[in-house]
Amino acid sequence: MIGHLAIAVLGVVAGIVFGAIPGMTATMAVAVFLPMTYAYDMDTALFLLLGLYVGGISGGLVPAILINIPGTPSSITTTFDGYPMSKRGEGERALKVGILASFIGGIISLICLWLFTPLLSAAALKFSAVEKFLIILFALTVIAALSKGQMLRGIFAGFGGVLLALCGMFSVNNAYRMVPAALKAKMQDGFQLLPVLIGLFAIAQIFEEAEEGMRFKIEKVDNAENSGVTKFSLKDFKGQGVNLVRSSLIGTFMGVLPGVGGSAASILAYAQAKNFSKHPELLGTGSPEGLVASESSNNGLTGGALIPLLSLGIPGDSTTAVLISAFMLQGIQVGPLFITQNPHTWNTILVALLACNIIMFIVMFYPIKWISKIIYIPRQRLYPIIIMICVVGAYATKNGRMFDAWTLLGFGVVGYIFGKIKIPASCFLIGFILGKDLENYFIQAISASSGSLMVFFSRPIGLFIWLLIIASVAYAIWDDRKTKKKAAVN
Amino acid sequence: MIKVVYSTQHWIVPRIVMVILAILLVAIIVTEGMARVKSGGAFLAKPGRFFKKDCDHVKLWGTLVLFAGYLWCLNVIGFTITSIVFVFLFNVLYAGTSKKSLILSILLSVVGSLVISVLFGIVFNITLPSGICTMAFPQFGFTLY
Repeated sequence: MIGHLAIAVLGVVAGIVFGAIPGMTATMAVAVFLPMTYAYDMDTALFLLLGLYVGGISGGLVPAILINIPGTPSSITTTFDGYPMSKRGEGERALKVGILASFIGGIISLICLWLFTPLLSAAALKFSAVEKFLIILFALTVIAALSKGQMLRGIFAGFGGVLLALCGMFSVNNAYRMVPAALKAKMQDGFQLLPVLIGLFAIAQIFEEAEEGMRFKIEKVDNAENSGVTKFSLKDFKGQGVNLVRSSLIGTFMGVLPGVGGSAASILAYAQAKNFSKHPELLGTGSPEGLVASESSNNGLTGGALIPLLSLGIPGDSTTAVLISAFMLQGIQVGPLFITQNPHTWNTILVALLACNIIMFIVMFYPIKWISKIIYIPRQRLYPIIIMICVVGAYATKNGRMFDAWTLLGFGVVGYIFGKIKIPASCFLIGFILGKDLENYFIQAISASSGSLMVFFSRPIGLFIWLLIIASVAYAIWDDRKTKKKAAVN
Repeated sequence: MIKVVYSTQHWIVPRIVMVILAILLVAIIVTEGMARVKSGGAFLAKPGRFFKKDCDHVKLWGTLVLFAGYLWCLNVIGFTITSIVFVFLFNVLYAGTSKKSLILSILLSVVGSLVISVLFGIVFNITLPSGICTMAFPQFGFTLY
């Protein structure tokens, strides 16, 4: 157990470093450290990966508060109130409010994970191939619903990912499709998830920063506290109970929906905090209330994103998508049978998530003055090392193949181009992860019904999922129009 | 009604997905074109600037060339030596050639590459790319890739 906790501390600290350096994300942290787990058993790997996840999401608040740059996309709303507080000399108070809110958000989402995953798994056990297919279709439409103003591009990216996943050999009749003859031996099971994922998210970002010239001007700010300013005390949380719970639940719920980033969760939670606030005019001027909403919601995401991952096998965000790779490496299949077949691993996940949240709180809350120096680490010195580790991770995916390392570079370029032509990479990735299952369930369902497509409308649970699909598409169209109108007015 | 024939069933879903993608592509072009017409522009937009205005072409293309060179050399030379050389070159590309920067670049590339090589290749026993500079020490039971 002590060994596990030590690994969790390593994970949390490394995660905080990645989260705190602007431009580097929790996804990158998990992807970079994944090769280390090749040598570990499942329990140790989980403590490391969940530590990186919790640390990576939490670290983002440091630069958001101190220099007005969100360290991760999910801490964008933290800048609204954190930075004004910091300018008043209340940087340390803001950081501590944010850290405590993050901790509570993490714990509330953990409780949701503990309560709802078994329920969802039990419901999913009744699913036949028809419902499994429809759930994946639902996941793809939810992606579209949340691609703010980019609905069609979001769906296009999702189906593009599905098509990529289908490259290689079809397991039923062992026939190849969409693979050049020269690559048949290497692409039997298509492209590997890990190099595609690290390429799209880590390498693509390095290309983007290289284009900008790797010029990072982070001016050192003096956030020294003056004697007259308010210091942190638990009174900052007085009257914030409802805000805390509401924001954490919003974060958890948004985490459950596939493909939704933390930024959507924190923006929604912040907007709700403003709607219900007694002093909405104070939000945005340095109010702890806004900080609490932002930080509790983005840590609420951590438990939420694990719910569909563990009960349905559908990742809630790009970071949990990396966790799927970790499970696959350990030979564990996530999905409705996960909890009943792996009760030990399920308990380990809960314990590890609790431990990582507590460690995050201890590691960040007390030594925050020193932690905050991380934001000045020059990224141009870290990127070469990150490239090297990414190559090791990709190369070792299938016991050492250069093909996977080239895949990494290829998808780095693809991810960079996606950014240019506004194709959301996270939608593409979710499609890629779910593509093979989508095909298998579809073929199973229509084979059993002798080719009749009516099979998809023949079961009550299936009809209920159709309703969800129609609702999400309708919402997507409505939201897309609203966002575009708003953009036109502005 | 879809006929599932054993020998051709591997093309059923890819074909459906391709049709969906084609429909979506047309929908994207039409809706975005209509929106441009509505706001007084032409249906087809002029292709915008691909690279940013102040794009650093040296660093961008340098990253691509160095990355490809790194991958190509790994299986020829071996992991540790190739990594030392290329991590140094990436450092020079990103951080410049002042004397202070060069010393830091050398230090980071040698220490960084050795730590990763030992950690993954020896401690974790993960297979790393090997080449002419890979050294095996059977008497100690490890290989420095």
